[in-house]
Amino acid sequence: MIHKLNKRFRMLSTSAALSLMLLAVPQAFAVTPKDTLVIGLAFDDIITLDPGQAFEFSAGEIGGNSYDRLVRLDINDTSKVTPDLAESWTVSDDGLTYTFKLKQGLKFASGNPITADDVAYSFERSVKIDGPPAFILNQFGLKKDNITQKAVAKDANTFVLTLDQSYAPSFVLNCLTATVAAVVDKKLVSQHVTNDDYGNAWLKTNFAGSGPYKVREWRANEVVVLERNDNYWGEKPKLNRVIYRHMKESAGQRLALDNGDIDVARNLEPNDIDAVAKKGTTVTSTPKGSVFYFSLNQKNPNLKKPEVVEAMKYLVDYDAIGATLIKGVGEIHQTFLPKGILGSLDEKPYKFDVAKAKELLAKAGLKDGFTVTMDVRNTQPTTGIAESLQQTFAQAGIKMELIPGDGKQTLTKYRARTHDIYIGLWGVDYWDPNSNAETFTSNPNNADDGTTKTLAWRNAWDIPELTKETKSGFVERDPAKRAAIYESLQKKVLASGPFVLVYQQTEVAGVGKGVKDFKLGPTFDTNYVFTVSKD
Amino acid sequence: MSIAEPETRPYSREWLLSDRPTSRRQARLGRAYIVWRRFAENRLALVGLAILILLLVVAAFADVLAPHNPVQGDLRNARLLPPGTAGYLLGTDDQGRDILSRLIYGSRLTLLVVVLVAVIAAPIGLIVGTVSGYAGGWIDAVLMRITDIFLAFPKLVLALALVAALGPGIENAILAIAVTSWPPYARIARAETLTFRHSEFIAAVKLMGASPFRIVLRHVMPLCVSSLIVRVTLDMAGIILIAAGLGFLGLGAQPPLPEWGAMIASGRRFILDQWWVAAMPGFAILIVSLGFNLLGDGLRDALDPKEAGQ
Repeated sequence: MIHKLNKRFRMLSTSAALSLMLLAVPQAFAVTPKDTLVIGLAFDDIITLDPGQAFEFSAGEIGGNSYDRLVRLDINDTSKVTPDLAESWTVSDDGLTYTFKLKQGLKFASGNPITADDVAYSFERSVKIDGPPAFILNQFGLKKDNITQKAVAKDANTFVLTLDQSYAPSFVLNCLTATVAAVVDKKLVSQHVTNDDYGNAWLKTNFAGSGPYKVREWRANEVVVLERNDNYWGEKPKLNRVIYRHMKESAGQRLALDNGDIDVARNLEPNDIDAVAKKGTTVTSTPKGSVFYFSLNQKNPNLKKPEVVEAMKYLVDYDAIGATLIKGVGEIHQTFLPKGILGSLDEKPYKFDVAKAKELLAKAGLKDGFTVTMDVRNTQPTTGIAESLQQTFAQAGIKMELIPGDGKQTLTKYRARTHDIYIGLWGVDYWDPNSNAETFTSNPNNADDGTTKTLAWRNAWDIPELTKETKSGFVERDPAKRAAIYESLQKKVLASGPFVLVYQQTEVAGVGKGVKDFKLGPTFDTNYVFTVSKD
Repeated sequence: MSIAEPETRPYSREWLLSDRPTSRRQARLGRAYIVWRRFAENRLALVGLAILILLLVVAAFADVLAPHNPVQGDLRNARLLPPGTAGYLLGTDDQGRDILSRLIYGSRLTLLVVVLVAVIAAPIGLIVGTVSGYAGGWIDAVLMRITDIFLAFPKLVLALALVAALGPGIENAILAIAVTSWPPYARIARAETLTFRHSEFIAAVKLMGASPFRIVLRHVMPLCVSSLIVRVTLDMAGIILIAAGLGFLGLGAQPPLPEWGAMIASGRRFILDQWWVAAMPGFAILIVSLGFNLLGDGLRDALDPKEAGQ
C-alpha cells in the first residue's frame, strides 16, 4: 500500500515538476508577430557593433541596416555607387580632393541634425580607434596623425576629404561604402567617451546612427533587436521590429522555419535548402564577394613546377562539386574577382580532365605522382571539397594527406608559409577589385620577413611584374581602363597563378510564408531588411 | 586390489573428461574442453563468437567482399543514394562512396584498434598489477597511486587530451586509448596477485630459491591471465566506442579512411533526410560491440574458477 502511494506520489511530483519546467521555458511562438521580422542567423562572429571597429559579416549587416554613410553600393549595379547622406560630390582635377555636399535637414535617430562635422568626426574616430577595418581608410594616406587635417567639415553641409595621391575615384568611393566610413552622431557619442576612446566602449553595444532601423539591443549569441527609426530621412521601413535570433545549426533553423518560429533562415546547408524548398518555402540567393580556392605553396619543389600548377587546375571535378557539395551555396567560379565587382571576368577554361593532368605531370617529370598535404578547416563544405579533391588527385597519382584543424590552426600555418596546400574561403574586404587584386596578385617582398603578407606572399609566389600591374590598377582614373587591368590580372592568375579558384559563395535564405521583398544583397553590408514587409 | 582403468580412445569425449589424466597434454586439453563446454552452453556467447568470427573473415577478405572502392566515390552520379539502390546495398555517402564497402574496409580499422590496444594495454596492466601486488610496500604504494591518477579521469576525456596533444590520426588514437585503458587491468592483476601471494605453492617456489622475477613471471602472471582476458574482452566494446568517439570528433582516423566513427560524424549532417549515412556505421558499431560484450560475458562464465565447482 505504502509502495503504491509512493509510486503515485512520485508520478505526481514528477509531472508537477515537469509542468513547472515547461512553464518556465518561454513558449515557442506559433507564428511570428505581424509587425516583426524574425531571422534565424548564426551571429557568433559579432565582437562589437561600433561601425568604426566592426569588421565581421553579421556586424556589417547590422551596420548596413542601422547606419548611413556618404555613399552606398548601388544594389542594382554593384560596380557603381549611389548617394546616401551625400547629395553630390566632386573630385578635384589632381585627384586629391573629394568634396561632398550633404543632403539638407537630415536627423539622427536621436533627433540631432546630421552635419559635415559628424562626418569628419566619424572619419577621425574610425582612424584613431584603429580597428581591423581602419586599413580601408589608411590606404588613402588617412593616418592617425593627419586625419583631422585630411577629413574636414568646410561648412555645415560640405565635407572635404584629402588623399595622399591620386587614386581611381571608383576605388575611393567603393571604399567609402564600407561600414568603417559610416556616420555616427557626434553629439551623442561625445557624451559617452571614456579615456579618449571616442565612445568605442559605449558604442560596442549601443547605437548612434541615422539608418532606417536603430539597434535596440544585442545580446551576444542570443539576439539582436532592431527597431524602426522614426527620424529616418528616407522611406521608412514597413515593419516595427526586426529580431535576429542566434541559431547555429542548419537543421535547427530548418525546423524553426517549418514551425513558423522564424520568418527567415539564413544558414541553411544544401540538403536543408532542398528540404525546405520542397515544402514550399521560398529560397532566395545572391552571389557574395567570397571566393573559395586552394593555393599551392611555391616553396614546395613539386608544387612550384608550372606544369603541376596547371595539372592541379584540371584535377578538380568542378561540375560534380557544383552539382552536389555546394549546390545552392556556391557557383563554380574560376577567377579571383567575384562576379558583380568592377572588372570581374567570368571565364571557366578548366574542366575535370585526368588524362590532361597526367600528361602535364609527366612533362614535369612526376609521372608517378607525388605526396602532398593539405590543411583543411573542419567545416563544411571545406572538408567535403577537400575529400573530393583527395579522390580526384588520386586518379592522377597524387597522394594527398588531409590535415584537419580549426580555423586558427590552419590559418596560423598558412600565415607562416609552412603549408603545402591551403584550402579555404577568401572574402573581399571592401567592394572594390583592388581588395582581391592586392592580395592575390601583389607581393612586394617575398622574403620570409616580408611585412606585406598578402595571399601571394603566403604562397611564396614571387611576382614583381604583377605587383606593379596591380598598383597601376588603383590609380587608373578611367573606369573602363581600370576594368581592363583587372581582367588582365585575372587572366594571368588563371593561366599560371598558384591559386585554383573553385567557386564563388552564394548566400541563401529560406523565406517563410507571408514575408515580402526579402532580398540578400551582394555584400554583407547590403543585406537590407528595411525593405521587407509582411502580409 | 586394483580396478583396471577402462581404456579410452585418445581425444574422445571420455578421454578429455577423464578425472585421471595420464599426461600433461591430456590434462590441458581436458581443461580446455571443459571451458569450451561451459562456454558453448551459453547460446548468446556463441552468437558473440560468431559475430567476432564474421568480423575477422570480413576484415581478412575485404578486398574480395567489397563491391566498390571504399575511398573513390562517384560524386556526380551516386551521391546519397538510399539503401537498396542497384549496386549499392547500404546506399552511398555524401562523396558518392558505397557505404557497404566502407563498412567492410572499416572493419580492418576497428580490428586494428582493438587488437593493438589489447596488445599494448593488457601487458602493461598485467606487469604493473602483479609487480605491485607481489612486491607490496612502497613499490605497491607508488604504482597504485599512479594508477589512481589515471583512474581519476574519465577515459574519454583523457584520451581526448592525449590525442589533442599528439595530433589527430589513428596511430595516436590507438596510443591514447591504450594509455588510458591499462589502469583497470593493473587493479585486477594486483587483486588477483594479493589472493595467492601468501599461498603455499608460492612459498614452496620461494623455498626452492626462485627469484621474485621468476615467481612473478612464471607463477603469478599465468594465474592472472584468465581474469584479465575476460576483462579485456569485455572492454573491447568500450574501446571500439572510444575509437569511434574519437573518430566522430575528428581526432581519430582521418579521411578518406573508412573509420566507422568518422563515418557517423560525416553522416550527421544528413540525419534528417538521409538517415542511412549515419545509421549504417552506427549499426556496425552496435553489432560488433554487442558481439564483444556477449563473448566477454560467456568467457567470464567459462573461465571463472569460482563457478567451475572444482
